[in-house]
Amino acid sequence: MKQVNQIKLLAILLVFVLLVSGCASSTSTKNSSSQESNKEGASHPKSGGDLTFALATSPDSLDPARSGLAVAVRAFRTIFDSLVVQAPDNTIKPWLATEWKISNDGKSYTFTLRKDVKFHDGTPFNAAAVKYSFDRINDPKTQAKNAVALLKPYQSSEVIDDYTIKINLATPSASFLSNLSQAMLGIVSPTAAEKYGDQFSKNPVGTGPYKFVSWSENADIVVEKNKDYHWGPANVENKEAPYLDKITFKIIPEEATRIGSVQSGQVLAAETVPPQNIASLKNDSKTQLLKVNTIGLPYTLFFNQRKAPWNDVKVRQAVQLAVDVDSIVKTLYLGTYERSWSPITPGILGYDKSLEGETKANIKKANQILDELGYKKGSDGIRVKDGKPFTLKYVDGTPNREKRNDIAVIVQQQLKKIGIKVEINITKDVATVIYKNADYDLYGNSQVNSDPNALRAIYHTRTPEEEAVFKGLTGGSDPELDQWLEQGTIELDPAKREETYKKVQQKIIKDAWIIPIYVFPYTVAASKTVNGITFDSLGYPLFNDVNIEQ
Amino acid sequence: MAIVNKILLKILTALVSIFGSLVLVFCIIYLLPGDPVLSMLDPSVATPEMVENLRKELGLDQPFYVQFLDYFMNVLHGDFGQSLVNRDQVLPKILEHFPATLALTLASALVSIIIGVFFGVLSAIYRNKWIDFIARLIGLFGISMPTFWSGILLILIFSVFLNWFPAMGSDGWKTIVLPSLSLGFVGAGLIIRMVRTSMLEVINEPFIVTLRAKGLSERAVMYRHALRNALIPAITIIGLNIGELMAGTVVIETVFSRQGIGRIVADAIMAKDLPVIQGVVFFSAIVFVVINLLVDLSYSIIDPRVRRAN
Repeated sequence: MKQVNQIKLLAILLVFVLLVSGCASSTSTKNSSSQESNKEGASHPKSGGDLTFALATSPDSLDPARSGLAVAVRAFRTIFDSLVVQAPDNTIKPWLATEWKISNDGKSYTFTLRKDVKFHDGTPFNAAAVKYSFDRINDPKTQAKNAVALLKPYQSSEVIDDYTIKINLATPSASFLSNLSQAMLGIVSPTAAEKYGDQFSKNPVGTGPYKFVSWSENADIVVEKNKDYHWGPANVENKEAPYLDKITFKIIPEEATRIGSVQSGQVLAAETVPPQNIASLKNDSKTQLLKVNTIGLPYTLFFNQRKAPWNDVKVRQAVQLAVDVDSIVKTLYLGTYERSWSPITPGILGYDKSLEGETKANIKKANQILDELGYKKGSDGIRVKDGKPFTLKYVDGTPNREKRNDIAVIVQQQLKKIGIKVEINITKDVATVIYKNADYDLYGNSQVNSDPNALRAIYHTRTPEEEAVFKGLTGGSDPELDQWLEQGTIELDPAKREETYKKVQQKIIKDAWIIPIYVFPYTVAASKTVNGITFDSLGYPLFNDVNIEQ
Repeated sequence: MAIVNKILLKILTALVSIFGSLVLVFCIIYLLPGDPVLSMLDPSVATPEMVENLRKELGLDQPFYVQFLDYFMNVLHGDFGQSLVNRDQVLPKILEHFPATLALTLASALVSIIIGVFFGVLSAIYRNKWIDFIARLIGLFGISMPTFWSGILLILIFSVFLNWFPAMGSDGWKTIVLPSLSLGFVGAGLIIRMVRTSMLEVINEPFIVTLRAKGLSERAVMYRHALRNALIPAITIIGLNIGELMAGTVVIETVFSRQGIGRIVADAIMAKDLPVIQGVVFFSAIVFVVINLLVDLSYSIIDPRVRRAN
């Protein structure tokens, strides 16, 4: 009896163990890529090797037209090329297009295309493919996301001959070429896009330096070297096929795990390093830290000018004076983020450096302004006017990206000093609270963009029709700003554009439409054996020059 | 015959529970604040027509009961709908990722049973001695420590410093060690207390005295007779615990970057992908009901009295 029972117990345990091991995907592949790549000689730069690169979130789609997330761009920038490339000095250089002519009215662009380019599936790259890619974005059936906005004011394409294409715009657009350089307007293989339809996002085919291999959701995206590649853009050194055999993008959302994976050698590189780790990694002998500031609109707090008293410039200025941005950035990001001074980031065309150092916190002056406006401090230190306490509704979203929720708490403490009671609402549902109901006094947002024309979508007066669909972030309206922003869109002379956008920036800051907070640095922690990770003008990583040494 | 009837009744109850959970899940999702259509579109490009078209396409313009009936009929046909983010069919996606979650859940259950029973028994045998004290302290830690914290701690110690186990991933047995330890520890705390309490009760029963009087060794008395009787209440806890463990995978799969349905639902919540959330919650409810059904049925194997009562 005793033995029978023991055997029974053993059997149950055995079944249990089998179940467990059988359920785990049993392909125990040795994927320590660092070991594989270390075998070859040490000549610089050498071919071969696999890079594992940890991403912080899951991409939504690998179809450039249908993606709305920066993290997806980091992966599919390796698969898709663009017609042109934006150099670090913001000039536009050839890529898949060798040259282009702009018509006198600024409404049509004629591109001459490279003749020696093939898609990964063998489809030849030509004018028809370019036309297909852009028409596809504009087709409502595609349900394109950010690409639609980037392609505006695109109207149509005419195939002149196999390697010449004329693109017609509804209105002139100074940012059009810059937008074309973005990965979301990358050229897709018409054959593959037709074949896969909806599923193209899981079977992307482009002309890029890497070919798509596989995407297992929540685990990894694998791309391999495109051996035929020899049309690298101006912003990389290696115009030929990449050195790496393979890149595996691993998706590791938890930041401690992501950084731990680099330190333990399980992955070779990981993106988005939290500030506290940036400081500690600087002393790590095996790990290097790469950092590049993204460009576009910095993280900015917007006043909702639809609501009193925020339609009063003086009240906004008082709050602007009371918020000590330097102390916020120093406290939360430990000196690893830079504070911003303007509605656009440094590095973008027209950035006005003269605004730096202009806005300084001054509690005394802020209090003085509010005193003059008739807001009287009550016994609890909160100001009252017409029997109503002075409150400010500060809305922010979850998850607590880049410690933005903590900014709200610091602003709350800072505004208490001038007698304003800040009510913080951290919501999951930003779409309803902000964009549908505009139920906020202060709300923060940022945007990666390559051209100052991005300001127009935010700061230009919105029509009632536009407001009916989605509320704008400022709720403000200024004819002068409108006029400058419209000018900036169509003016093709960069020098004149710069002047226009400087006026725009100064006015927005002077009239206290916003409080700019920080410029987001894109950071990568990588093993010191990894060389050649570079970044494009928007701050996205490039892998053409990457090689792995011993 | 009676036993067949009883099993049938249990299965019927299980089906009712499953239907109830379907209704509940659907209602909760329906009542969530926020318009899924608005959150799917990009504020800078959406037009009123786009909003309306999408609403129609997703069937969200229909009244509540029509939406529910549609969903119910589809579920009966094995169609859990499509992801709003990438148009994936929900059920195949769940089935593809469920084995990884099941593996993690079972491994964690194994960890919590081994730790729980071992320390539970020790704690009862050496009641109020230092071993009892340590076992109870371990139990207290297990119950109170949040998994995301213990998970990160384990990564720091065993991956970054010692380099024994990988910090993330779901390929190979090594990757399951740290997550199952971290998750299993929680359940262990409960099981330690449960086993300790019921062991103490059993030890004081007359038949234990009889066995001792018959001259059986203390080990045989404890492990073969006392433990077997003490396990019956513990098994209920273990069954319920498996549900807890499955819920725990939402956090732990994210922390260790493992594949699984917990990760899918965590991502779906971030992306407001309602059909996926709905599908995973409903699927988990089914699994939970089935596990409890199995636990119910297993009593008769462990305890002959239950079998005879049938």
